[in-house]
Amino acid sequence: MISNDGKTVEPEGGQLAIGRELRKFPRKSSVKRRDGLIAAIILTPMILWWLVLSGFPTLFGFVLGFFEWIGISDSPKFVWFDNYVRFFQDPLYYQALWRSIWLGGLVTSITLLAGFGASLLMNMPLFGKGIYRSVWYIPAVTSTVATTQIFNILLDTNNGVINNILVSMGKPPIVWQYSVFWGVFWIVVYSVWKGVGGAALIWLAGLQSVDTALYEAADIDGAGRFAKLMNVTLPGLKPIATYIVITNLISAIQIYEQVLFMTNGGPYGQTEVLVFRIYRDAFWDFNLGMAGASSLIMAAVVLTATVFYYRWSTVSDRSITTRRSRKLRKGGL
Amino acid sequence: MQEFSKKLAMQFKPKYLFAHLVLFGVGLVLLYPLIFMVTVGFFTEEEFMTTVLGLLPFAKQPTWDNFLVLFNGSADAAIQQYFLNSTIRTVYATFWALLTALLAGYVFARLKFRGKEVIFLTLLATQMIPATVALIPTYLQFARWPFAGGNNIFTGGTGILDTWWVYLIGGPSINIMGAFLVKQSMEKVPYELDEAAKVDGAGTLRIIFQILLPLQMPIMAFIAITTALATWNDFITPFFYTSSDHLQTLPAAITRLSSAAASPGTVPNWPLIITLSLGTTLPALFLFFFFQKYIVQGLANTGIKG
Repeated sequence: MISNDGKTVEPEGGQLAIGRELRKFPRKSSVKRRDGLIAAIILTPMILWWLVLSGFPTLFGFVLGFFEWIGISDSPKFVWFDNYVRFFQDPLYYQALWRSIWLGGLVTSITLLAGFGASLLMNMPLFGKGIYRSVWYIPAVTSTVATTQIFNILLDTNNGVINNILVSMGKPPIVWQYSVFWGVFWIVVYSVWKGVGGAALIWLAGLQSVDTALYEAADIDGAGRFAKLMNVTLPGLKPIATYIVITNLISAIQIYEQVLFMTNGGPYGQTEVLVFRIYRDAFWDFNLGMAGASSLIMAAVVLTATVFYYRWSTVSDRSITTRRSRKLRKGGL
Repeated sequence: MQEFSKKLAMQFKPKYLFAHLVLFGVGLVLLYPLIFMVTVGFFTEEEFMTTVLGLLPFAKQPTWDNFLVLFNGSADAAIQQYFLNSTIRTVYATFWALLTALLAGYVFARLKFRGKEVIFLTLLATQMIPATVALIPTYLQFARWPFAGGNNIFTGGTGILDTWWVYLIGGPSINIMGAFLVKQSMEKVPYELDEAAKVDGAGTLRIIFQILLPLQMPIMAFIAITTALATWNDFITPFFYTSSDHLQTLPAAITRLSSAAASPGTVPNWPLIITLSLGTTLPALFLFFFFQKYIVQGLANTGIKG
């Protein structure tokens, strides 16, 4: 590394670097060697074990996508990109992918907008705001299996609470399971129900991390409430917005548990999302090759979404970064 | 006192009343499914089947049986066993998650060695890969586990499928998100503290457990609670990798009773599902109330640092 640098850097720079290396060389290297040994002793077993139990299966899953392998007892056959070609030709798959994307986007935007509104309210000096925070977060800690069952009781066709209320109002009961719209609707409602409290908490942390001095400065400049929101609050929330959008989007694109337990993909597979499709392939249809190919595509979509959003949101971040680093330097001195 | 009365008076301004109204009203709606679950938990099986369920159904002959059965077990379902399995599994996973997060977090926060950044970023990047990718390969891996369950080197038996090992085996592998959080939190502790301890003759383990650990308690609590909840609520591992009744956990038992797994056309056994749902949800809620301070703090930290 040093020799590489030495060739590329300007002469003075190179000399400087070498001088620094020489001065600190003996002490640093022995510390490094000792640290390296301790790190190896601690990390090696747990990373090796992780490689065996997570790394290897993940790689294996990607490799599966290049095989036709139906049923575990059959022997796999190498088919190059056939599974991927099928993925983009068979509506069963590309429609499931498309559904994952727009459903994920829909759930993310509703959750984050509602959460943001709630966090603005929770940021006021209200009595009992701690209680509100907790209550809103409660759905997030419940088990998806358990709570979807409760939703199913509420939505039962014959004796569901909502249909009973509809009937008592003189309206005909709705057979939720026969309708794509209602299937999607309740999946979205469930997902927002579960996610909104967490989103509100993170937004709230973001709101509270905005420098109050900036608000005071804005007051002095005579900024109105809206101007403050646009020029102080929102720019200050940018780092946390990046984080919360990415994490929410990643998990929302991969929603499948509520699909599995609420609509089971029905009616006629019209609410199947991609991860649900992967489960079907893997554990009901034993089409291991397609499951592998689909999961690689899912991973690619998630990564692309993340990178795009990250790039897009950090483009105009330079001013904030420099300001922060200047502040840090001052603090350090 | 004056501060308090000022704050009290403020609560009655229209803007504040509105905020209270929204937060309370929507909060109630969010809680509704859980309130509903508790109220139907008091129904006997016969009454549940014959009652036309309203918005908040109250049992005419309320019974504690559905709650008690979680502790006493019952004849038709080994609920107690599920409960025990869930608990042991959760405690075990949480223990390892904490230990590996603390040790790995220390290594990445404090030690200097070649390739540290590369290793750390690689591990972190893998967290973005959907876990579903590994599901089938894991199944195959468990089935082909060498010298287990009648296997010779790779084949012959069922491996560790349908044994307690499916819950235990992953324990010692690194908890990457946890390590990330511990690293973030440890970097805020001044390095002089380690140096001072080193001068006093403390070894690495002593520095980790006696000097640094006490200062990482909030983030450790956050890791503990999130791991515990995730493990407690996880139905995938037991549902896909085990089949024996005595290995099921509460969520997996619900999964097996749910319409998703049942043959089409049959009516799910709602009272039993409700009981199991109570058994799954209530402990999670207790855990949450016990640790909520750390959840709020931890979520805020992950957000700001991430």
